[in-house]
Amino acid sequence: MTADAGPVARSASDVARDAAFERDALPWLDDVYRFALSLTREESDADDVVQETFLRAYRSWHTFIPGTDCRRWLFTICRNVFLRSRERQRPTVDLEDGEQDAVAASSVYEAARERGYDDIFARLDLAPALREALDELAEPFRSAVILVDVEDMSYESAAEVMGVPIGTVRSRLFRGRRLLQEKLVTVAEDLGFQGAGAR
Amino acid sequence: MSAPARSQLEELGLSATCAEVLHHLWDYLDDQITPAGAERLRAHIAACKQCQQYEDYQECFLRAVAGLRQELGAPESLRERLAERLKGQGCGCWNKVRREP
Repeated sequence: MTADAGPVARSASDVARDAAFERDALPWLDDVYRFALSLTREESDADDVVQETFLRAYRSWHTFIPGTDCRRWLFTICRNVFLRSRERQRPTVDLEDGEQDAVAASSVYEAARERGYDDIFARLDLAPALREALDELAEPFRSAVILVDVEDMSYESAAEVMGVPIGTVRSRLFRGRRLLQEKLVTVAEDLGFQGAGAR
Repeated sequence: MSAPARSQLEELGLSATCAEVLHHLWDYLDDQITPAGAERLRAHIAACKQCQQYEDYQECFLRAVAGLRQELGAPESLRERLAERLKGQGCGCWNKVRREP
């Protein structure tokens, strides 16, 4: 804008870009905020991550393929912004496959059953403990559980967000689930929960 | 399945298909299994009380985790800050970041 002229006319492509950004990206602001908060566990940090995510998305809007999953695209940017915001990345954990954790989870179940905790996850009073356990779950397992189990993403979408193969999502997810279940059984014991009927 | 693994299962009183449930239940609950595999697991679980109970437990766990999805919205203060930054980038839809009254 100059002192003696009106606002600079926007080009047709700028107008079209802004319309598409408004239509496809902005509706996901709440979802991205929730995801950022899950990653950062701190409102002010989530605030910064969300702003940076949408600014990057706007600047690189020309790379978004119309008609594809914009939420997934934004989550990918968000996670990358989050990882870069930390001074160093956590080392990538390579797991063989998830089946060991899937089978190990059955041992956790047996331990829970013996204490009468079969219905442990149905107990509403455990929800805060479950949230805390998820917040404390180490990366990259926490991201996998958040994306698939909390945000209801497919393995494929989660793999794209995390930038890893689908098999890696599966193994991280299974490890995260098993760790959460172990933690909850311990919490229930520490809190002196009365099981339905210890065996 | 190897002979030692099979005899271990027999020792535990588990049939071969109970072991398959242990290995693949999450794949099954996540719809990450072939239709034939899903049918095989479904048929066994329907006939096996132990596996039914295990499936119930895992389904309950997944529901509990899904229930953690808080219906949080981005705070108005964040929307205001983002609107200003997008405006600074020349974004023409910056005022759409704010919630409609």
